[in-house]
Amino acid sequence: MHYLGLITLYLALGFALLALLAGAGLFRLAPDLARKANSCSVLTTALSTLALVVSFLTDNFELAYVARNSARSLPVVYKISALWAGQSGSLLLWLVIISLFSLAVQGKRSFREKDFDLRVNTVINAVRVLFMILLLFVSSPFESLADPPINGQGLNPMLQSLGMVIHPPLLFLGFSGFLVPFAIMTAALWKREGGDDWLEEVKPWAVLAWLFLTAGTVTGGHWAYTELGWGGYWAWDPVENASLLPWLTGTALLHALHLGREQAGRKLWSYFLTVLTFALTIFGTFLTRSGVLDSVHAFSGGALGSIFLAVLAAILLFSLGLAWVRRDRLLDLETEEHSLLSLTFAIKAGSVLLLLLFAAVFFGTMFPLISRTLTGREIILDAGFFNQVTVPIFLVLFLLMGLAPVLPRKQAGTAALWRKIWLPLFVGLSVGLYTCFTKGGGAAALACAIAAFGLVAHVKSLAGGKERRLRLSSVLVHMGVLVMLIGVAGSSAYTDSVFVSVEPGEEIQFGPYVVSYMGLQARYGIDRYSVGTTLAVSREGRELGELTSEKTFWENRSQPSTEVGILSTVREDLYLNLAGWEGQTAQLHLQRFALVSWIWFGSGIVYLGAALGLLAPKPATKADKQVKAWSRTF
Amino acid sequence: MTKKVKIVVFSLLPALFLGWLAFQAFENSAAYYYTISETSALEETDQKLRLKGQLVEGSVDYNSSIPRLEFSLADQDAQVEAVYQGVLPDNFHHAQEVIVEGKFNTQGQFLVSKLMLQCPSKYEGEE
Repeated sequence: MHYLGLITLYLALGFALLALLAGAGLFRLAPDLARKANSCSVLTTALSTLALVVSFLTDNFELAYVARNSARSLPVVYKISALWAGQSGSLLLWLVIISLFSLAVQGKRSFREKDFDLRVNTVINAVRVLFMILLLFVSSPFESLADPPINGQGLNPMLQSLGMVIHPPLLFLGFSGFLVPFAIMTAALWKREGGDDWLEEVKPWAVLAWLFLTAGTVTGGHWAYTELGWGGYWAWDPVENASLLPWLTGTALLHALHLGREQAGRKLWSYFLTVLTFALTIFGTFLTRSGVLDSVHAFSGGALGSIFLAVLAAILLFSLGLAWVRRDRLLDLETEEHSLLSLTFAIKAGSVLLLLLFAAVFFGTMFPLISRTLTGREIILDAGFFNQVTVPIFLVLFLLMGLAPVLPRKQAGTAALWRKIWLPLFVGLSVGLYTCFTKGGGAAALACAIAAFGLVAHVKSLAGGKERRLRLSSVLVHMGVLVMLIGVAGSSAYTDSVFVSVEPGEEIQFGPYVVSYMGLQARYGIDRYSVGTTLAVSREGRELGELTSEKTFWENRSQPSTEVGILSTVREDLYLNLAGWEGQTAQLHLQRFALVSWIWFGSGIVYLGAALGLLAPKPATKADKQVKAWSRTF
Repeated sequence: MTKKVKIVVFSLLPALFLGWLAFQAFENSAAYYYTISETSALEETDQKLRLKGQLVEGSVDYNSSIPRLEFSLADQDAQVEAVYQGVLPDNFHHAQEVIVEGKFNTQGQFLVSKLMLQCPSKYEGEE
């Protein structure tokens, strides 16, 4: 099987090189042949991946990668997800996703006019060739063992979860998705002359990539929340920050693309943000693969880190050079005046705030490296630093976002503004004051006030009929983010924790809840046994549900693994960890986090909004069509 | 406002604001990385430190009912006694390396506020 995987990967490299060279104009190849070469390369990449998947499914432990990450008893779904449990498999998954994007680019009819798809795919293929070389010569999943073991080492129990199945592919979809805007812009700017419609072409791809990156980050947070010892849904770990950085710049990019076309500097700004976002997806890989920073994720180090750093430098130099050579196509001086009370200004100010957040997170994440270089002593900044610096900026940003549906595009009359703003303002203030006095917590109460203000403003704008300036999709995304804000504020400020030692039959009062412990149960599996407990939870005499936490001991692993129990309600989550036991006396760690479920619910609204934006694009206005027709004449 | 003034205002003000925020936050959250041998020469300090070392065999003492975890970390030349008020992590005994953040108390014990483990099997096998 490993020969099949290797041969198809070599073939894929050959086809991709062919498509790349033909696309770059180094030799003449009929456009359709270049497309066929690209398709063949995608097909062989898929076959190579399939070979690895089949190796996992058939327990082919001749492959070192399979032996390391799988075992006979592993459930089928985890045998498939074990594909990306290690470094080389993750690279392969990433390559497959990039390949699918290149196929999508090739399939887009508007791109095939003037063979624009070939030029875009030239850029994408350059990245694909790099990944193939890494997979063939640096970190190969097809290395075979001379003396294959009878059974594999198995998959780490922490990775045997739904989070592992969906989080990495979504994240890689987001990361590779931002390659497409970069490729489109590079391909468009490669020619000395041309129209401006590339900015419009970039939009849907950027939205798609943003949707995947958001989903990837949120599912990662959810997974970390359900896994003991991963520090909750967000711990400002370098690896988490690595996915937040492109998200911040990607969000700024989406807004830059939606600025009015008359804004000076929009093209240069969009180009800058596209390059930065794409570079950050590569940077994230460098960060997680190089071992330069301590992280709970503890990836293996090796040559890969420095290769990605070199690639990063090459991308930045290339893009800077291209921007300089084509500066006349990126700069436009015509501009349109707008007042400080306008959507255009709010978007600009918001972009500045997003870049500030980017700078803060980047600086904080890299500070151990910076301080080591400057003073010789490594200084690590903990979550407290990130919270203190980013929370104020985030709050101002969300306040601006809440204002979005109220503000006119260019100029506002104060009277009209007041008519729209009094109700959201009133609700926001009331919610803020109520939260502050009943629950306390300054920043969290302020966050709730800002979220309530924004939510009312957005809901009200939906009823505004013709006056509405934001598209339904944008309104939904904004509202989802604000709902998430409420969840984050609640779960970080309004928490409670207790550690108890209990006998069977005992009842514990925990906040408004009564939890009863009935003893421990043992379960036996083929390669494991588990000790767990199920608690009955009631609130004010009413039964709410059960909490189950268990510790599992594995035959072929020295350390046990713990499943926590989570009872989720709209109001708050109860979180149980069976910390230990002596006889039937159990030590329980019980925690409460307010409003956590709002984060996951809000993210659902965000996905819905972004998907709606992709499926139902805004009908082009007359002016849009004119500009398009005008730019096509070039 | 002329265009230049505008650009200066809108780039300088946010940068200053960020600098101020970062400066405020720095003091409480910075942890200085020390090797364990370096700490023996360290004078009494209230600074938060981060240490990395190997678990000393037989040094782990866990009282599950409080819960309180005591252990010693060592590098080639020195060792440090550490106390952590919290639940014993699942893979503690098999951690390749233990990273702790915290402060020394007057008895020379290291009070751990944050405990991190690097395990050979956390993400990928030994390579």
